[in-house]
Amino acid sequence: MGAKVSGTTVWQLRSAVRPDHPHTEIIEEFFMKGFRTHLILAALVCTASLTARAQEFRVFNRSVQVHGSLSQGFAYSNDNNFLTMKTSDGSPAFTDGALNLSTSITDKFHVAAQAYDRKVGQLDDFRPQLDFAYGDYRFVSWFGVRAGQVKTPLGLYNDTQDADFLHTWALLPQGVYPLDLRSTMLSHTGVDIYGRIPLKKAGKLAYAAYAGERSFDNRGGYYIFSSDLGMPITSASGRVTGWDLRWTTPLKGLTLGSSWIDMTQNRDGSYSQAMFPPHTAYKATSAPERTTVGYGDFQRGKWDFAGEYRAEDYWLSILTPSFGNSVFLWNGSNESWFLAGSVHAMKRLSLGVYHSNFHVDVPADPANKATNHIYDEVATARLDLNRFWTVKAEEHFMDGYGDLYSAHGFYERSNPNGFKPRTDMLMLRTSFFF
Amino acid sequence: MKYTQWLLLAGAVMLIVPLSLRAADMKVIANPSVSASAVSADDLKDVFLENKDSLGGSHVDPVLEKGGPAHEAFLKVLGKSDAALQTYYRSLVFSGKGSMPKALASDAEVAAWVAKTKGAVGYVSGDASAPGTKVLEVK
Repeated sequence: MGAKVSGTTVWQLRSAVRPDHPHTEIIEEFFMKGFRTHLILAALVCTASLTARAQEFRVFNRSVQVHGSLSQGFAYSNDNNFLTMKTSDGSPAFTDGALNLSTSITDKFHVAAQAYDRKVGQLDDFRPQLDFAYGDYRFVSWFGVRAGQVKTPLGLYNDTQDADFLHTWALLPQGVYPLDLRSTMLSHTGVDIYGRIPLKKAGKLAYAAYAGERSFDNRGGYYIFSSDLGMPITSASGRVTGWDLRWTTPLKGLTLGSSWIDMTQNRDGSYSQAMFPPHTAYKATSAPERTTVGYGDFQRGKWDFAGEYRAEDYWLSILTPSFGNSVFLWNGSNESWFLAGSVHAMKRLSLGVYHSNFHVDVPADPANKATNHIYDEVATARLDLNRFWTVKAEEHFMDGYGDLYSAHGFYERSNPNGFKPRTDMLMLRTSFFF
Repeated sequence: MKYTQWLLLAGAVMLIVPLSLRAADMKVIANPSVSASAVSADDLKDVFLENKDSLGGSHVDPVLEKGGPAHEAFLKVLGKSDAALQTYYRSLVFSGKGSMPKALASDAEVAAWVAKTKGAVGYVSGDASAPGTKVLEVK
């Protein structure tokens, strides 16, 4: 199939969609260089879904499970480019996958590791990352310990945000789970304690508490927007502590929870533009960087309703030693929330809607109302073609593009002519998993 | 019998018949190494949702059936559809918090696996033969 789709053929197809589009050279280059690769990936998703199954093999008489996923997306927006892709031209530069191994060493001791790889526009560029790798010793059901690189339990979906096939949506609510900033709170290297406490008639309470080193991704959105602002990052490190409480209430299907995370950040970099001469070194430290989360999920029959609220108290103290140790205190605090509803309408079809809300407390340009928020209204249809293969179609109606300093999908580098206040975007995504 | 009494009787029948059918549709079996002889529905649910890995002090490993009447009946105990259960297990796998339980094709396969595997707990049809296993009473 891929061989038959020449650049010319696809260009004719695209012309039918937007016959007035002037950027023929860009589109031809895009289709010639990128589209075939992504078509091949999409074909691979299809083929794999028909042939592969979860694998299991034995090492030292222990069963090792192998699971994986592969996902290919396509985004097409009216004006603004989103997530560093050229979505206004229609972009298939949205591929990710994971490979997962796990085994039980003893009845109580479980080990698991997962590698993750993605290319979303200019984000990550197919560089494999370790998602998690840790040992888990469960002493009793109400107390266990995990050590290593562990996914951070935060809100409803933080630890499953990469696995789109677990969700109705092609994109999780981007106000709360920004795909470009996934690494900032995704995992930590340290120790977790966790357990599940029965509360008799009051339901059950699952808890987790953790401490460790936080993760950074130098090809993620955090680095990209810092670079765009003339403050590229050369190194970053920090610690993280936090907890998560998840209450399975006596009301069947209702789960309520709360999370809290406190992070530190020690960032070094040098100015490439902005207010200081190029190569002037700076240091940034968090002062503080804390997020408080409340969430709930109600599942009944074919219906699922979910919501989450986050308040991030985020300040950075930016020190420029060569200019008399001048300190600039930057306020990046923000609030975000979403409300979502979905229904398993037919055996293989799920439908859903959500509203995602992202609000910047102190935007850099208060006069421009589009910079203090991103509202996103979304409608999705998910089709399960078989037990291992899903296809989703999703329409986003976004209002605002957030602050210059907030990232959340909108970048200057992919919108050099400035932003429009509204963005409508069609997202198609197919995923294979086993 | 008055109309309201008929209504109450009909209601009771509607409530009791499905419960008895459910009980007859499947039984929970365990390897003889499992010390418990009975299990509460709540603990059974926790074992199969991987929130609990012991019963009566014995380590347990759940095993599922891929489909069939026993599986359908057991899904009602768990309160999840098959798709929701698969999604639940996958969320454990891809967050690193658990693994996919073994799933076998038939009552005979489940019974044979439970009989030979220390700590295994499974379910089969109510009338299925499961030699070498013990039946756990669900309270």
